[in-house]
Amino acid sequence: MAEKQETELSFPAKYRLTGEMEGCSDEQKLELFERLLKTRQFDARMRKLFRQGRFEGTFYSQIGQEACDVVIAYQMNQEDFVGPSHRDLGASTGKGVPLKNLAAQVYNRVDSPDGGRYTACHYWHPEYWVMNPSTSIVMNWVAATGAAFGYKMLKKDNVAVAFCGDGATAHGDFHEACNFAGVHRLPIVYVVQNNLWAESLPVALTTALTDLSHRADAYGFPGISIDGNDVVETWNTTREALKRARGGAGPTLIEMKTYRWHGHSDIDPADYRSDDEVAHWMERDPIPRYEQYLRELEVLNDDTLAKIRTRIEAEIEEAVDFAENSPRPAPDGYLSHVYAEDYPGFEFGDRNPGEPNG
Amino acid sequence: MAEITYIDAINRTLHEEMARDETTFLIGEDTGIYGGVFKATRGLLEEFGPERIIDSPISESLIAGMTVGAAMVGCRPLPEIQFADFISPAFDQIVQQVARYYWRTNGAFEMPVTLRCPYGGGVGGGVYHSQSNEAWFMNTPGLVMVAPGSVRDAAGLLRSAIRSQDPVLYWEHKKLYRSLKDDVPDGDEVLTPIGSAEVVRNGSHVTAISFGYTLQLCLEAANELADEGIEVEVIDLKTLLPLDKSTVIESVAKTSKAVVVHEAPKFGGIGGEIAAILAEECFWELDAPVTRVAGYNTPFPAARTMEEHYMPSTVQVAAALRTAVQT
Repeated sequence: MAEKQETELSFPAKYRLTGEMEGCSDEQKLELFERLLKTRQFDARMRKLFRQGRFEGTFYSQIGQEACDVVIAYQMNQEDFVGPSHRDLGASTGKGVPLKNLAAQVYNRVDSPDGGRYTACHYWHPEYWVMNPSTSIVMNWVAATGAAFGYKMLKKDNVAVAFCGDGATAHGDFHEACNFAGVHRLPIVYVVQNNLWAESLPVALTTALTDLSHRADAYGFPGISIDGNDVVETWNTTREALKRARGGAGPTLIEMKTYRWHGHSDIDPADYRSDDEVAHWMERDPIPRYEQYLRELEVLNDDTLAKIRTRIEAEIEEAVDFAENSPRPAPDGYLSHVYAEDYPGFEFGDRNPGEPNG
Repeated sequence: MAEITYIDAINRTLHEEMARDETTFLIGEDTGIYGGVFKATRGLLEEFGPERIIDSPISESLIAGMTVGAAMVGCRPLPEIQFADFISPAFDQIVQQVARYYWRTNGAFEMPVTLRCPYGGGVGGGVYHSQSNEAWFMNTPGLVMVAPGSVRDAAGLLRSAIRSQDPVLYWEHKKLYRSLKDDVPDGDEVLTPIGSAEVVRNGSHVTAISFGYTLQLCLEAANELADEGIEVEVIDLKTLLPLDKSTVIESVAKTSKAVVVHEAPKFGGIGGEIAAILAEECFWELDAPVTRVAGYNTPFPAARTMEEHYMPSTVQVAAALRTAVQT
C-alpha cells in the first residue's frame, strides 16, 4: 500500500468543506487543527518506531479516523467521561492528554498511566477521565453508559461519550447499553466509527443496514450518519449531541463514516482490501480538507502552519525521549493493586518452586 | 431482639446501608416495583425512589457492566442477578472488567460493587433456578466472593461487602432464605470481616469445611456424631475468594482429617482447591485422605426425587466424617 504525505493539499473538489462551525472561535478552530495534526503525526511516529522494533507487543494505528474522536473529545470538559475503544488515540489527544503519557503507554513503561501492566495502544488517562479501554470489544460502551447513569443519579452536570467501531454494533452489549440509555434518557453520546472493516470482516457481513445510525430507532433516541472525515459536519453534529446530553434530552447515536488507512494492527497487511478502496479513502483524508477550509477562512496560513508543525514535532520528540528513558517496570510490579482491601488469611503471593523469572 | 430470617437480614441490611450512603443504588430484574422475586428488595423503591432503585431490562451484562462506569464517577453500585443461574451473560463483564479494573488502572479506580447472587438447590427450581455456580468464578484474581451460612452473616457479610472497596459477589442461598432464623441486632454491631473463615464448632477428631446451605448439613452431622463420641470441628468458610487458608490449615493440622462439603459438582469445585491446599501445605499432618461430599458431575435435575438424590445430605456428610475418623 502506498504511503502518503500526511497533509497533501490536493483532493477532489467534492470533498471541499463548506459551512459554519457553530460556536467555534477562530482560536478554537486552530487549536482543533493542531490536535488533529498532532494525533496524525504522533501515530505515524509511533508506527515507525514499532516497525523499528523499539517497543514490544503491537501497534494499532488510527490514521485516517482522527476527526471522529478528536473533534468531539476536544469539546468535552476534562471531568466528562470518555469510554474509548482500542485505537482511539484521538479520544485522549483531543481531550488534551500529554503525548508523553501516551508514548509511555505504548512502550509499556513505568510512566504509563497503568505502569506498564496493561496493554499497549489502549490509550487512557485517569486525570482526563479517559477510561482504560477493554480489549474485549464494546465493554467500554457499557461502562460509559454506567458513568452517564452515575452522573444522572448523583445530579452532576457531566456527560459521557462512548466510541466503538462498526463491528462492535453486532455485539449484545451494544444493544443492552443503548437500550438502557434510551429508557433512562442518560447524558451520553454514542459514536460509531464505521471504517468499513472489523479487522478483516466487511461491514456487509456485520449488518444488513446501510446506515448504522438506524440502530438508534430501536432505542427511541436520535441517530444520524455523517461523513466522519468532514471536520465541519462532525463538529456541528457532535456539538448538538453534547448539548442534548448535557441539557437532559438524552442520548444520540452518531455513525461517522471513515476509514483506517492501515491494518487492524501493524502485523496485519490488510490485504483483504483493494488498493482502489484505500486510495479512494485517502483522497477523503480529513486533515487536508480541514486545512484547506481554514486557509479559505484565512484562519491558517503558511506561517501559522509552520509554527504549529514545529510545536508538534517538539512535543513528539519530547514524548519519545520520555518513553524511551522511562524505566521498564519491575518484573514483579504487577503484583500490587489486585485488591483494594487487605485479606490477611490469604497468601496472595503464592509462588512456584525455584527462583522467580525476570 | 426479634427473630428474623436470613432474607429479612438481607432486606434489612440493604435498607440500612442504602440509608447510610446515598451514593448506593440497586439495579436488578424485578427488584423495584415487585420488590424482588424473593422479596429481598421489598420496600426499597418506596424508601429510596426510582433514581436509586432501578428495575432493569432483562440485560444481565448491562447490570454487571454498567457498575464500572458508575463506580468510577462516585457511585456504590448494588447490582442483583435474579438467579445466579442467569449470571452467565454477565460473566464477561464480571471477570474481564469489574474484577480487574482496579488492577488494570494500577490502582486509580476502585470497584466498590456488591453483586448479589441467589443460588443453590433444594427449592424445586430445575436446572436454571438451582445451581451453585460459584466455582465458575474461582479463577478470577481481583474478585471477592462471600457466601453467608447464617442469619448473622447474611447481614454481616452483606454490610462488609457494601462497605468494601473491592467488587464482591455475594452468594445468598435460596433454601436458607426462610428456613434459617436467628436473633440478630440492627446496624453496625453486625459486621462480618471478609477474608476470614471461622471455626463455628470445636472438635478434635475431624474437620468439616463448608459454607452456605451445606454448612447446616455439617452442623447437623456434627450433632449426630457427637452421640457416637466423634468430635467434629466445623469451619464456615464465609469468604470463598480470597480464601482464608490459614484457618483451614490450622484446624486440619489439629484434627489430621478433613471433609469438604459443597453443593456444586465435585469436579472443579472449591473442594478440589481446598484438598490441594491441604495436600501441599498440610500433608505430614494428615492421617486420612481428604474427601469431598458434593453434587454429582451432572446438570441439576428438576423432579423432587432426582433433586433429593443430587443434593448432598446430612447422612452423606455424617458417613464421610465417620469414614475419615475410622481410617
